[in-house]
Amino acid sequence: MLLLPLLAVLVQTLSGASVDPLDAPAGTKAIVFLFTSTECPISNRYAPEVRRLTETYRAKGVVFRLIYPNPAETPAAIREHMAAFGYAGAAEAFRDPALALAKFAGATVTPEAAVYAGGKLMYRGRIDNRYVELGVERPAATQRDLADALASVLAGKAVAAATTQAVGCFIADFSR
Amino acid sequence: MLAIVFVATCALPAAAQAPTYSKDVAPLVADRCGVCHHPGGSAPFSLLTYADVKQRATQIASVTRSRIMPPWKADPSNGPFLGQHPLSDSEIAMLSRWVEQGAPEGDAAQLPPPRVYTEGWQLGKPDVIVTLPKAFTLPAEGTDVFRIFALPIPIAQARFVRGLEFRPGNPKVVHHANIRVDPTSESRRLDDQDPRPGYDGLLARTAVYPDGHFLGWTPGQVAPLLPPDLAWRLDRRTDLVVELHMQPSGKPEQVAPSIGFYFGDDVSSDAAHGGPSRTPSMLRLGRQNIDIAAGDAQYVVTDSYVLPVDVEVQAVQPHAHYRLREARGDATLPDGTTRPLIGIADWDFRWQHVYRFVNPVRLPKGTRLSMRYAYDNSSANPRNPQQPPARARWGQRSSDEMGDLWVQVLTRDDADLERLNRDFRPKVAAEDVQGYEVEIEKHPGDAGLHDDAAMLYLELGRAQPAIAHFEASLKLKPDTAAAHYNLGTALTVARRLNEAGAQYREALRIDPSYAAAHNNLGSVYLADGRFDAAIHEFTEVARLQPESPVGWKNLAAAYAMAGQFDRAVEAADAALRLKPAEPLASEIRSQREKYSKQLR
Repeated sequence: MLLLPLLAVLVQTLSGASVDPLDAPAGTKAIVFLFTSTECPISNRYAPEVRRLTETYRAKGVVFRLIYPNPAETPAAIREHMAAFGYAGAAEAFRDPALALAKFAGATVTPEAAVYAGGKLMYRGRIDNRYVELGVERPAATQRDLADALASVLAGKAVAAATTQAVGCFIADFSR
Repeated sequence: MLAIVFVATCALPAAAQAPTYSKDVAPLVADRCGVCHHPGGSAPFSLLTYADVKQRATQIASVTRSRIMPPWKADPSNGPFLGQHPLSDSEIAMLSRWVEQGAPEGDAAQLPPPRVYTEGWQLGKPDVIVTLPKAFTLPAEGTDVFRIFALPIPIAQARFVRGLEFRPGNPKVVHHANIRVDPTSESRRLDDQDPRPGYDGLLARTAVYPDGHFLGWTPGQVAPLLPPDLAWRLDRRTDLVVELHMQPSGKPEQVAPSIGFYFGDDVSSDAAHGGPSRTPSMLRLGRQNIDIAAGDAQYVVTDSYVLPVDVEVQAVQPHAHYRLREARGDATLPDGTTRPLIGIADWDFRWQHVYRFVNPVRLPKGTRLSMRYAYDNSSANPRNPQQPPARARWGQRSSDEMGDLWVQVLTRDDADLERLNRDFRPKVAAEDVQGYEVEIEKHPGDAGLHDDAAMLYLELGRAQPAIAHFEASLKLKPDTAAAHYNLGTALTVARRLNEAGAQYREALRIDPSYAAAHNNLGSVYLADGRFDAAIHEFTEVARLQPESPVGWKNLAAAYAMAGQFDRAVEAADAALRLKPAEPLASEIRSQREKYSKQLR
């Protein structure tokens, strides 16, 4: 019996090239995929928090990658979105029109984060607990799950809550 | 056996047939969602086509299941209310089933005819449109941002207003608007002090609802035009005050809402048309002594008021901040039956609706209006603005707590309206004064708060605390004529006339042209039998304010008391030449008659 090695999940750069999203420069300690959408109000409201996280963790060897799973969102629309929300320069952007990475990571909504280290999924879920459910929002987050997860990963520890429920726009709706 | 199978298969098609967009979803969405979710509507996106709906299908199923959408917090059985479009359980189940089955489009031939939504102004072309001269830049971040704008209303003469329509301008971020009018320049002053458009903080005490009318906007709500006889009077130089509640979008946003005014008859043609003849009254139940301990998950506020006249309830509006969980308002009739007016089981600060009854609720004299609000100041309340929870007291800032139930009523006639307002006013003043005491405890150095509290105490006939607050205010701004004058008025009410006179004289030393101080000092002299001194003061009032009939009237009274009836008649004539309004005119005429009798 011939056992084939697992094929890499591929995403697209904004110029259309297919790349392995887990490929990262040497010295990378963790990769954060942040599933987002140009139109989702909840993921857009997180833009300032995402920028803060990228600034805090970039120097610590964490690479942030914005993943746009909605096939209807064109590279031009994504570039415009990144400029409007201050993402340009803070994170790289990839398209995931076939939902290959979304399915691989198990992401179902935007915004949702998936943290990989050493090729393994360490955390998947919300950025923080500001949104309790659609329509119920805390005035401020009381638990910063993604930041806590990154702190654990960088300290070489297991993430206490390895999955959390993200609240936002449903990725399943994007491909209808 | 066969028969049973036959019945079962026969019943199947209706229940098991997969719902489709064209046949089932489109008509429902057009009816309940399209009111806001159409291009240019108040919602942030449109839901008119299959493409629009299918790309949000899971979200639609989710928010309808949790009844977050359509946004309707009140128990519909207490209405019907205007603009109430709840979904039934079976409609919600159908939407979920449709999504589970892949959100199929179905046969486009079964689509309902396209619904036509009014583009732009829902009430038609406004007579006057007020908009921000310069857009406000909303910062990228924050949960709830509040900003108050004072806008001049460009009218050349007083008008009667039948309605207002608010257009958010940027529906992605504008969540609701609190609207008031300010007949003074106070709101404008606060706006001008902040170099950017609008100001942060609280609505000025002078920014009020026009007599008995709600103004304000939440998405999907357009208050219909009032019948002409219910229109309210808008005078020139009144500012529109708009407090916007906005939710930042993640990037800076430009916000410039517009407000359209719809006028009724001209005030100048009042006599010809009869003019508005009915004025509603705004009752407010609620407490300002709210004080919720940190962690208290079951803090209850109750209040009630017994109606002294028959009324028709037109509308109700519950108001509170983040910690309220459940709001109830009831009317208990004299026969003991209860007519619930409003019930909100899961209060959400974000949806501050005015609930307008389709059929006004008639309540006889003796009916007890009551409210019961339950708050949760524990960490289990996700909406709690303070984590860990902290003590929460009454206050208008969104981090403080409030608990009001506004009830708009119409009385049978003006006499009943006056009885109602006279009966109700002390209740509100007593509550307001408690709120001021809380604010003053937090901001003891704010002279304006002391002044407002003192005025309320005077209204309640309580001179002692009024004097104390005016004294505190005077200490904060010792060299102002107004502070001395204010203290003088409270001392006058307390019949401490010598001290009052000293305060008025001090006010006049600082500002010799202070007509009101001359007037009150004149009254003090008159009460003391010092007629010449009184005449001197009232002469000053008449000189400083020759167009004010009251000054002349008081001068006339002083001359009369001094026995100088010829001069009294002259002064009364001067007052009458200014064509004072009723009932002042009749009063002056009858006084003049008395004086002239003394002459003969």
